[in-house]
Amino acid sequence: MSGFTGNLARTAALSLRMLVRTRVRATLSVLGIAVATFLLCAERAVQDGVREATEASARDTRLIVYRANRFCPFTSRIPERYADEIAAMPGVASAVPMQIVVSNCRASLDVVVFRGVRAEDAERTLAPRLRFIDGSMSDFLARGDGALVGSALAERRRLKVGDRFGSAGVTVTVAGIVEADGPQDRNACFVPLPFLQSSMGGVQGGIVTQVEVEIAEPGTLERIAAEIDARFAGDAAPTSTRSEKSFAARAAEDLVAIAGFARLLGAGALAAIFALVANALILSLEGRSRDLAVLQAVGFGGRAIAWTIIVEAAALAAVGAAIGAGCAQLALAFGDLSLGAEGILVEFRPSIASAIGATLAAALVGLCAGSVPAIIAARRSVAEGMRAA
Amino acid sequence: MSEAFIRCEKLTKVYRKGDQEIVPIRDLDLEIARGAFVSLMGPSGSGKTTLLNLLAGIDSPTRGALHIGSNDLARLSRGALAAWRSREVGIVFQSYNLVPVLTAFENVELPLLLQPLSRAERARRAMEALDTVGLGDRASHFPSQLSGGQEQRVAIARAIVARPPLLLADEPTGDLDRESADLVLALLASLHRDRGTTIVMVTHDPEAAARADTLLHLDKGRLAARESRGAEAAR
Repeated sequence: MSGFTGNLARTAALSLRMLVRTRVRATLSVLGIAVATFLLCAERAVQDGVREATEASARDTRLIVYRANRFCPFTSRIPERYADEIAAMPGVASAVPMQIVVSNCRASLDVVVFRGVRAEDAERTLAPRLRFIDGSMSDFLARGDGALVGSALAERRRLKVGDRFGSAGVTVTVAGIVEADGPQDRNACFVPLPFLQSSMGGVQGGIVTQVEVEIAEPGTLERIAAEIDARFAGDAAPTSTRSEKSFAARAAEDLVAIAGFARLLGAGALAAIFALVANALILSLEGRSRDLAVLQAVGFGGRAIAWTIIVEAAALAAVGAAIGAGCAQLALAFGDLSLGAEGILVEFRPSIASAIGATLAAALVGLCAGSVPAIIAARRSVAEGMRAA
Repeated sequence: MSEAFIRCEKLTKVYRKGDQEIVPIRDLDLEIARGAFVSLMGPSGSGKTTLLNLLAGIDSPTRGALHIGSNDLARLSRGALAAWRSREVGIVFQSYNLVPVLTAFENVELPLLLQPLSRAERARRAMEALDTVGLGDRASHFPSQLSGGQEQRVAIARAIVARPPLLLADEPTGDLDRESADLVLALLASLHRDRGTTIVMVTHDPEAAARADTLLHLDKGRLAARESRGAEAAR
């Protein structure tokens, strides 16, 4: 190790030793940074969830056909026969009519979304995109009140095969727990369409909330959406067709607005980290002016003094950020959090990439916050430090 | 005649306190020989501590020249002064100034962290310095676990661990009882005698001053009198 790097390493070790031995100050600073990083991770989880649910990509192949000018599952009603007509259109791989019933149409942390599907659609269209964790499709089809429960909803409600549960006036028996790639499927409760239609009482058979359309070729979404709307424009129930993601973005405008607000919280969390680290170090400098002057008196130069402060800032920020990110990961993993609005669900799931990003951002901000006290300490003369003590 | 190790020529230090100009050291001419043991005495405000700070390179002269060994301190940058201090000067303060969160051993080791020494060599030298001041068995104690006299001896160990040729002591016995003060003074005397360390000690205590071979009396920032005992070490 060269003289310079050796000096850096020895001085860094000294700084960490001194930090560890001021336990109360170090612990309080680390806790503050951890809380701020926790908030930052939560904010990133909100952004990730909204992005996953609402941001369209070139690979998307799913359209949602809704009743024109209706934005709530309770008011969107279109004839079930539309699905068969859409399925026959060129470029369409499948069209599944769905009745949607939600436990709460407004923004809520615990929304149950029932999706009524026909038996033939369940076998032909749902089965390929769902992976059974427990139960089977045959169990589902064998029961009139059977339900395939998405894994996230099952976790949230602690449901297992054979359980009966009810919401929004609909009571079902769990016939299978299913995993899926998309947040809407992971949070859905698929039930037989006739059962759901009859459960709604006033709603007559032959009427559904929406049609889910799978297209054969990615990249033709907009063209086919326009063709579908044109086909039913003169009908008694005109349609509004969008990609699933843009439909979700439109339906969940409240959630997108919440995500926008969460961005402010994220910025606030970073500002809090900056303030916490800077405050901790400036207070520490005031309390340790004599110690720093002693270090200078025994030969520590301005750069060495600045380095000790930088190391301290980096250590506080890194440890606090790691603890905060770790706690956030655990809370997101075990909290099974999702936010629903208008039947669209946004999941808040743990993400290693987000945790690493938040940790790095927090550590970087902490490091920057340490630079100002470091410069102050480096510029202070020994005599001034001794007098200030 | 001994070689001059410290040489001050028209050394002046001016502070500004609000609108008031304070001149604790004024046109001071002084030479101190290598290996001398010098006591600086004088009334409060006579400039003793300011002179010591100037000799330590922790304060800079306003005017005049200050040579220690081959270095002109007035011309050294802050960084160069710090490096020079780490090699050439040991400082003992009246209030010990040990770092409270470090053990006696770690306090003594501090000046060695700036030198390219292995961990084992640093440990050997730090323990040797602690043994020299008779506190080898207190190495793992924190300052709060030591008496005032022991703290001051740890401070002396820290000051001598890098084997500097110059030791500056500011009222090293000022906060100690007689017994502890005698121990510290005996220690300084032995360092002077056995290692040939040049020692400049500020003191109000005539008994402490009597240990030195030269007494310098400062008054209003100027050299008012000097007494030499034995070899003429200061002129």
